[in-house]
Amino acid sequence: MHLRRFLPVFSLLCGLCFHSSAAAEETPGASQVIDMNSGEWDGIVNIDVSVLFPDYREPWNAGQPSGGSGTGFLIGKNRFLTNAHVVSNATKIVIRTTNDPQPHPARIVHVAHDCDLAIIEAEDGAPFEKMRQLTFGGIPKLNTEVIAVGYPIGGDRISVTRGVVSRIDFRTFSHSGVDQHLAIQVDAAINPGNSGGPVLQGGKVVGVAFQGYSGSVAQNVGYIIPVPVIQRLLKDVEDGRYDHYVDLAITDFPVENVAQKKALKLGDDGVGVMIADVEPAGCASGVLQRGDVLLSMDGNPVLNNGLIRFEGELMDMNEVVERKFAGDTLKVSLMRDGKKSDKEIKLTRFAPYVRLGSTYNQRPRYLVYAGLVFQPLDRNLMDAHQVRDPVANYLFDNYLTDKIYVERPEPVMLTTVLSDEVNTYFAAYAQSVIDEINGMKIRNFQDVAEALKKEDARKDFIVIKLVEKGRPLVLRRDLAEAAHPRIMKTYGIPEDSYIGSEEE
Amino acid sequence: MKIFTLLGLVGIASLAGAQLPSNIDNSKAPAAPGKPRAGSPGVPMGTIAPPPDSLKKPLVQPQIISSSSLLKVNATYQSYNLQIPWQKESAGGRRGLGVVLPGNRVLVTAQMVADATYIELELPESGQKIPATVQAVDYEANLALLAPNSPTKEKEFFAGLKGVEVDDSARIGDSLAVWQAGRVGDLIVTPMRISKVMTQGYVVDNAAFLVYEATGIIRSESNSFTLPVVKGGKLAALLLRYDSKNQVATLLPAPIIQHFLKDVADGRYDGFPSLGIEFQVTQDEQFRDYLGLKAGAPGVFVSKIMKGGSADKAGMKAGDIMISIDGHEVDARGDYQDGQFGAVSASHLIRGKGFVGDKVEIKVLREGKEVVLKGSLARKEPDDYLVRPYLFDHGPKYILSGGILFQELTSAYLNSFGREQRGGAILRLQRIASNPEEFEKDGRKKIVFIGAILPTASTQGYERMSGQVVEEVNGRKINEIADVAAALKEPQDGLHTLKLREFPYLLHLDALRVERDNMQLMNGMFRVSELSRLE
Repeated sequence: MHLRRFLPVFSLLCGLCFHSSAAAEETPGASQVIDMNSGEWDGIVNIDVSVLFPDYREPWNAGQPSGGSGTGFLIGKNRFLTNAHVVSNATKIVIRTTNDPQPHPARIVHVAHDCDLAIIEAEDGAPFEKMRQLTFGGIPKLNTEVIAVGYPIGGDRISVTRGVVSRIDFRTFSHSGVDQHLAIQVDAAINPGNSGGPVLQGGKVVGVAFQGYSGSVAQNVGYIIPVPVIQRLLKDVEDGRYDHYVDLAITDFPVENVAQKKALKLGDDGVGVMIADVEPAGCASGVLQRGDVLLSMDGNPVLNNGLIRFEGELMDMNEVVERKFAGDTLKVSLMRDGKKSDKEIKLTRFAPYVRLGSTYNQRPRYLVYAGLVFQPLDRNLMDAHQVRDPVANYLFDNYLTDKIYVERPEPVMLTTVLSDEVNTYFAAYAQSVIDEINGMKIRNFQDVAEALKKEDARKDFIVIKLVEKGRPLVLRRDLAEAAHPRIMKTYGIPEDSYIGSEEE
Repeated sequence: MKIFTLLGLVGIASLAGAQLPSNIDNSKAPAAPGKPRAGSPGVPMGTIAPPPDSLKKPLVQPQIISSSSLLKVNATYQSYNLQIPWQKESAGGRRGLGVVLPGNRVLVTAQMVADATYIELELPESGQKIPATVQAVDYEANLALLAPNSPTKEKEFFAGLKGVEVDDSARIGDSLAVWQAGRVGDLIVTPMRISKVMTQGYVVDNAAFLVYEATGIIRSESNSFTLPVVKGGKLAALLLRYDSKNQVATLLPAPIIQHFLKDVADGRYDGFPSLGIEFQVTQDEQFRDYLGLKAGAPGVFVSKIMKGGSADKAGMKAGDIMISIDGHEVDARGDYQDGQFGAVSASHLIRGKGFVGDKVEIKVLREGKEVVLKGSLARKEPDDYLVRPYLFDHGPKYILSGGILFQELTSAYLNSFGREQRGGAILRLQRIASNPEEFEKDGRKKIVFIGAILPTASTQGYERMSGQVVEEVNGRKINEIADVAAALKEPQDGLHTLKLREFPYLLHLDALRVERDNMQLMNGMFRVSELSRLE
């Protein structure tokens, strides 16, 4: 996984799991007549999902029920592969096949939101035992033909569309909105409902259909998750647990300028890229530093533009890290002030990225006190509350660039003020980021509950300091304690808080 | 990681410069007489649109008399391009009215003459014209005093004119009259009634001044800037803006005009002083309890002290509770009781009533004890700000070296991107403008940033970057743009090294190539007239 800091295309990308509200457009794809009796595609199933969208505005509520449908396919004994976004926030999953009227209840075995893949199983695997499993091919060549098979909008039965491989490149996966992996662009019609379905070449799976462009700027652009990403997941979960992608958490800067080359003491062999930034909480911190030149990874030379020759192709150097797992080591050779050295980096996941992306299958965390609603600041919250406060926007935008996560791994926001006599002057301070409560710095969401109980020098008061706001919010403790149950009752809030556990 | 994804700035191709808001936007094309004209859209401060025909019968018949105290003023202006600072924008014209004051001086709003390249005065009836110059201008108070610039014609030109006096006696409820000049110099008089007095920013947002708010219907005429508002034949205000939808006029009142004229009269213009604090109201009882304020006791909570302001110099501290200024009690809202206007923001005591150098006595509550702070009123000049709040008549400071455009950050530059820009580099720079303390503490006088990078041999690989704050050049700390000029004279080992506050943090340039590219920039495609403006 590797992250670009600003990505202008988020809004254009859409997942392909279609929900009940999706417009039922006719699909203009080039469907082919196929022989359904061969049994070759029996393992490609429809996945029907009931979901509950968490409510980040009223986090104590269960959320908004909805439903959707996608595709999945059999890859092992009672193991179906599909997209993470097909089964995200699911309350009920049902597998349907073309030739069987019976719905089969199913459950998630592994879900990998960072690469938009999930493995599910039927509660009763027996009906699928004789079904043919699909097998994996490799990375298809450019301009070769592929077919996408699935259950997209436009009808109930299986659909096939055909196209060629247009491009193989790193892309942002819109499910999280921050993760980038290898993806293959195809011009086969890929529509809502195709999500999770196999893309085949010569009868073998070369990818999983997962996203397209919904904007009007591009045409016939569909993306599929290629086999290396899928196989990485399968290998990761061999031990029964998904450990996520690891990340170097560095930012490179291509070396094109002669002055840069001279200053970094680089030769003319085209090898070496400048390390412009190293995240202090990342695994490369302490090994690499700003201004270093990265010369190679695991013995493969890194070129001036940050590319590396890997499996015969020039690829982004992060592809080397992509294929590795938590706890693996990466050998790097670097040059600092003209001196070369070889080092090893033990690879880990980089948590601050997660907060910047959308998260799923998580109950929103919150704490209500005297009508003040506190919530951790993350992508889901920013989207749900359409935050307009400039300080909050600044902090979220620069969570990485200004290394805000070092001081405040999990900023907390006062999202809403539930009006009551006790807090009537606070309304204007909704969407403020919390700095301190009763003299205690709020670094994580867990700190809030503890800090509210804390008695500062002025123990009759609860003093909430806000980031870059002119005044603290001050509550008289006796009044706040008295108002709290009243407010909970008035606004129909069943529980004070859901603190949750550490994030997955 | 590719660098083009890191840019929040609009490229150099977007040339929207900061435009001065006009109060009534018919400066470009005079209205055809008698024909209704649609109000132009997109004017920030409200336009005067003619009423629909059904409402056209005036409630009050305009009196047609001629005035001997009104002049037409025509100004040609040309502002600098803030994003391509060596270029100027295309020239435009403004037409407005001027009020004749004793001594052949003409009062107009500062908006009228901002970035002016040529100003002339015109007699409304005969159309006779003479050139004029700006004698004094204050963009915060939005006032300018013009003097004729033609010794030979001055006497004859002013022969039939009579200077008006300024009258500051207007109160809430008083009826005033707005003067406009008709096509042949006839005077059009429209009544207005003062409904409110308060403080507000005029055209730049770093300072709030006293305003009258008045209700009435103003017809659109061809002279839009600087409409005088009179009371009994004396000047009571100038029209600042008009909201045609609600028929509310905001007036720049006589007390501020008098302050300006008095300041000009001694031959040295000092400008309006400011207290330089940010305060919070104290109506919240629990907050009052916490601060130790008794019910009904006066005072506001001082949350921020601006460096170099009057309060800073008098020793006020953040956390103080300000309870009075010069014996005037400051209430929980931050208002004092003015004998003439009722409750008005206490800032008027300093900015409206005081002059630079005047003594001031402020009472604060500090740790429960009353403390008397004594000082004298100071003014924070635009150049004293880390981020200059406005930039009229001046070109933006810059250095273009090898294709890297170094600029000093100004609010005018930030405003040229529009208010919608919420993410990326502009958001970061905007935050510096609103929270300058951290940088001021660091010893910086100005923020120098990379405005753009022109494609040259020196900048190969750096082209699509902008918005980074420059920390160091060749090992020298950059506190203002002059430091860049000095540092660029000292390349090391044939290289210039730039340290930036943001990604990519480090840039190198070949010093020889930079010199060659500079020649190219001046003589080649870009035809850059000057490689720097440091004045």
